[in-house]
Amino acid sequence: MSAIWATEPERGSRAAIHFVTWLALRLGRSATRWLLVPLSFYFFAFAPKARRASRAFLGRALGRRAGGPDILRNFHAFAATLHDRIYLRCGRFEALDIAIDGAAPVDAILARGRGCILLGSHLGSFEASHALARQLTHHPINIVMHEGVTQNTDAALDRLAPELRPHMIAPGRPETMLRIKECLDRGEIVGILGDRPFGSEKSTICPFLGVAARFPQGPFRLALALEVPVVLFFGLYRGANHYQICLEELAGRPTAAGEERADAAARWVERYVERLEHYARAAPYNWFNFYDFWDEGLR
Amino acid sequence: MGNLPPEAVLGTQQSAFELELARLIAAATNLDLAPEQIDPAAPLFGQGLGLDSIDMLEVALAVSQRYGFSLRSDDADNRTVFASLRNLAAHIDKHRTK
Repeated sequence: MSAIWATEPERGSRAAIHFVTWLALRLGRSATRWLLVPLSFYFFAFAPKARRASRAFLGRALGRRAGGPDILRNFHAFAATLHDRIYLRCGRFEALDIAIDGAAPVDAILARGRGCILLGSHLGSFEASHALARQLTHHPINIVMHEGVTQNTDAALDRLAPELRPHMIAPGRPETMLRIKECLDRGEIVGILGDRPFGSEKSTICPFLGVAARFPQGPFRLALALEVPVVLFFGLYRGANHYQICLEELAGRPTAAGEERADAAARWVERYVERLEHYARAAPYNWFNFYDFWDEGLR
Repeated sequence: MGNLPPEAVLGTQQSAFELELARLIAAATNLDLAPEQIDPAAPLFGQGLGLDSIDMLEVALAVSQRYGFSLRSDDADNRTVFASLRNLAAHIDKHRTK
């Protein structure tokens, strides 16, 4: 959840966020859900960058001009996943209806005793992986994510449900990948979001919805170095209290000799982007990259 | 370099083992730089040699294969160990089993 826009709901003071989170848990999902409507309108009015980014994406994904109602629907879906994140993170699954599609290949991979990379994106809710974690009790899910952006909410949730605190791995440190390797060696799952490159990270430029965009190679360089399977994860929000988790085995045991790794990683990125595009068209309002994704000078 | 004190000159020269390790690093990460040109005192990670965390993983895998011990993520000395070729060489020298 490192969307640039995701910093916006975090603007509130720490105390306010603690209070809202507590209230959401105390009063329950349906009693607090109505707040998402004014919140969506608020961001429609006061987050012009996010509005333009949403319009640019939806225009491409829907194949027509995206209007105000489309953008509001996009914002509402995002707000809904932020709201539901509280319940997912605290193990309050009874409020949600979560279907898991494609669990069989993941079970088969984990049964072999080696972990896998769970490759997600900012399409839908990666937090829905908590529902998957509940089923895979012997295989903890570690999440590689930049700290800071949702830290106020996370601090509130850590205090309210410390026993369910997720296993986080901070990226971009010399020992980051060693930690990931150690998790995978223990048969654990490592969740990574694969649709946003950070800084000067090695990346591949490939077409996404018809226009060239930059995607990180990191997850695939990692998979190739360790020869671990890559499973795609999409936690799509399907309206009301419905979520659909889609799992797909992308790479069984990716291998490439040292000097061919860079090319191999680029080819895997292209395959990932093809699947991302497929799901983005299938669930366009789940796109939560509210920034200039194609780097086309959106202001 | 004529006016520099001898230790400063030594500071940028590789020892035999540092050169061996520099070759291992260059091979593991497909480095553009010649191994002999790696400054033993410069940072390996990020600015300096420009290795990222996946390169560091490749280095760790190669080290474990060649010298028979694993670099660990929870090693309290990691900040120092990964700080330079010289420090990494010293760390390996201390823990190697082959």
